Amino acid sequence: MSRRAAEAVFQGLFLLCEIRGMLRETAPLHSLSTEQKVKTTKTLEKLEKQISILKEELVS
Amino acid sequence: MNCGEGIDTRLVEELFINLDPIQAGGRLTVDAMKAVLAYGDGYSVCDNCEKPFRLDCIKKPPLAKFHEDLAEFVNMDVARLVPGARRGFQAVADTVVNKGDPVLLTAFSHYTEFLSVEQTGGIPHEVPPDEKQIITADAVAARIEDVTRLEGKPPVLLFVEEVDYQYGNLHPVQEIARVAHQYDVPVLCNGAYTVGIMPVDGKKAGADFLVGSGHKSMAAPAPSGMLATTSEYADTLFRTTKAKGDITGRTFGVKEVEMMGCTLMGVTSVGMMASFPHVKERVKQYDQHLMRCNKIVDTLCSIDGTRVMSEYPRKHPLTRMNTTDSFDKVAKTHKKKGFFLISALRERGITGIIAGSTKVWKFNPYGLTDGQAQYVGDMFVEIAKEAGLEVADT
Repeated sequence: MSRRAAEAVFQGLFLLCEIRGMLRETAPLHSLSTEQKVKTTKTLEKLEKQISILKEELVS
Repeated sequence: MNCGEGIDTRLVEELFINLDPIQAGGRLTVDAMKAVLAYGDGYSVCDNCEKPFRLDCIKKPPLAKFHEDLAEFVNMDVARLVPGARRGFQAVADTVVNKGDPVLLTAFSHYTEFLSVEQTGGIPHEVPPDEKQIITADAVAARIEDVTRLEGKPPVLLFVEEVDYQYGNLHPVQEIARVAHQYDVPVLCNGAYTVGIMPVDGKKAGADFLVGSGHKSMAAPAPSGMLATTSEYADTLFRTTKAKGDITGRTFGVKEVEMMGCTLMGVTSVGMMASFPHVKERVKQYDQHLMRCNKIVDTLCSIDGTRVMSEYPRKHPLTRMNTTDSFDKVAKTHKKKGFFLISALRERGITGIIAGSTKVWKFNPYGLTDGQAQYVGDMFVEIAKEAGLEVADT
């Protein structure tokens, strides 16, 4: 069992939910403020980390 | 993009500002979206269900605490989760109303309130609104007197909407309940549009039963809702089963008859619970939500021939507009006829108004940011000007 992979899946999905929330908050133009861009950039970085974990755990 | 065979992925909330009057308060919070992902499986909250084996007693996830918190949130003694407000109406009617009993509803009562009375064999009678589309305590008193004369006995229950679905008007439930209680008529307050949107105090309002809607006003998946009552009625409403199998001798513990045992057993209860901290906070910011709504209404009314049919200033964001003398005039000569308005709105990333409506229509801007509310007003003005309508400065 890879608990790490399972948790990475959910962490990734949760981070995508944050981005989904941002899309809703800024609809329909999706013009993000500087603060929102910083927040989204951090979220995307965390998401990339979770994808790396999944690669390590499942396919490397 | 599909999320299952033949099932389009719904992107409405991500791509548009959605003004649909019944959808605004049920949009999920980000935490609810996460909970939905983690608890989508059928009986997902039942992993740690221990004696006495009932939803409101489950400690992990913390459903037992959530039930207590819900009751406290609306200032009632006991609360249960129900699969939609309608199941709350049904449980109360089934408990209080017997065949042939008169029941008082209002001109704004939801159809499921009528159906819940019909199931019991009760006889529905309506309270009319005044000229401002408000249900008054005087009108309730008059109808109780009428019905008592007509039926030979007083109504056994009064349904009253705190905010109605037609005008979004706030009705004086506290005064109404006081009058109803003078006639010994118990009161079911329908908070489908208020619990989770604005502060609600069930006991202060004089409600014997208070019903809320999770998917309409508590940022929860459907079908979800809340039924709360006072200690006076709790044992009757939430009575436990006495049934016994005549062959097997089986009994069924503390399952509650009106709840049909457990109610929301997965994504609905956990989604509702995940949103709850955010719902408690947003209720405290109700004035800001109202301010944004009133700003949009002011902007709409700056368009010549446009008027608000709901009470004004708004006390609730669900609002009924009349544009018979503005957008409907445009529709008469527009190639898209009545669809021109929704078409123009959608081109600008706004949706939720009934397609084809240019005379009387409703919208609900609850939950919009300042920027989104400003944008909505600006876009209505832009559409009006493009159509040649006069717009006053606001």
